[in-house]
Amino acid sequence: MEELLEQLADILEIDEIKPQDEFESFEDWDSLSVLSIIAMVQSKYKIVLTATEVRNSKTAQGLFELIKNKG
Amino acid sequence: MTLYNPMDLTGKTIVITGAASGIGKATAILLSKLNANLILLDINEKGLNDTKSQCKPDDFIGTVDLTDESAVETILKEAVSIRGKVNGFAHIAGIPSIAPIKAITKKEAQRILEINTLPALYLAKILSNKKYKAEESCSFVLISSVYANVGSSANVLYTMSKAAIQGITKSLAIEFAPKKIRVNCVAPGFIKTQMGEKINHFFDSEHDTLIESMHPLGLGTPEDIANSIAFLLSDASKWTTGAIFNIDGGFCAQ
Ligand SMILES: NC(=O)c1ccc[n+]([C@@H]2O[C@H](COP(=O)([O-])OP(=O)(O)OC[C@H]3O[C@@H](n4cnc5c(N)ncnc54)[C@H](O)[C@@H]3O)[C@@H](O)[C@H]2O)c1
Repeated sequence: MEELLEQLADILEIDEIKPQDEFESFEDWDSLSVLSIIAMVQSKYKIVLTATEVRNSKTAQGLFELIKNKG
Repeated sequence: MTLYNPMDLTGKTIVITGAASGIGKATAILLSKLNANLILLDINEKGLNDTKSQCKPDDFIGTVDLTDESAVETILKEAVSIRGKVNGFAHIAGIPSIAPIKAITKKEAQRILEINTLPALYLAKILSNKKYKAEESCSFVLISSVYANVGSSANVLYTMSKAAIQGITKSLAIEFAPKKIRVNCVAPGFIKTQMGEKINHFFDSEHDTLIESMHPLGLGTPEDIANSIAFLLSDASKWTTGAIFNIDGGFCAQ
């Protein structure tokens, strides 16, 4: 989870993200963030997520669980 | 009276990369109908066998990872010893890459270039050598993309690899003109193949409709691209070199 939080903070260009923070509350959250997350998860965890799944995961915690369930 | 066919490829031996699927497969089948002898290369053995079943029984198939230059040379040496010297190639194998700049890595950039771009260089190097090249007409065809002509977000690695193909086309066309080897390029618009399926998960469902609307003639088929490749490999295009053909249903005309 720690690693995922760091990667998400990097994508959203912020210092820190907490598990419950809503992606949509961040200024830099846009369609390119979704693509970045899909590309990052595919290259780091070898898991293929869809754009809809990433949007619906809503928070870092949600994304973490999505990756865990698909892994 | 025999029917006149300026795209007839009788007696010509052609190498096709990416022959197991999509545009490469359609090209193999079309060239076979035009009576070419084929050397079909791909990393996917099952797909290659399926393509071969729709070509001539004595066509050569080689399962090879194109990123391995020495393996490519070894397999071409074997193929030429069996099928004879080569009159041209089409480098069609390729992979997509969707990633915004902040998600790219040097490793991924190298991987894209190693498949989409660099084999064009060493195929040209190997197959322009007299050891492998037939005396008569010789034509090399490289595959670019509309995305080398127009910008596209989250596509920078693919664009880089396909724009480089256009530069390679023009430089090699000049370098090889004294040897009477022609080098041309096809830049396709969107074609429904496995390549699209590999990147579908990146996009919402409206994406397909959006892409289709960017093509005044609608989406293309692998055969639409195969036709242009066959023309460039045949003597019907004997005065064409260094050309980039946009075969894209009007995508770049807008
Ligand atoms: N489909 C499109 O919309 C489109 C548009 C523009 C350009 N293109 C280009 O057309 C070409 C063919 O695309 P396609 O749509 O038929 O794709 P495809 O995925 O159906 O076929 C690509 C083939 O390349 C092979 N390949 C991949 N990596 C390889 C490797 N390392 N070694 C050997 N073989 C390898 C695959 O096994 C596959 O058979 C590509 O260069 C692509 O960039 C496609």
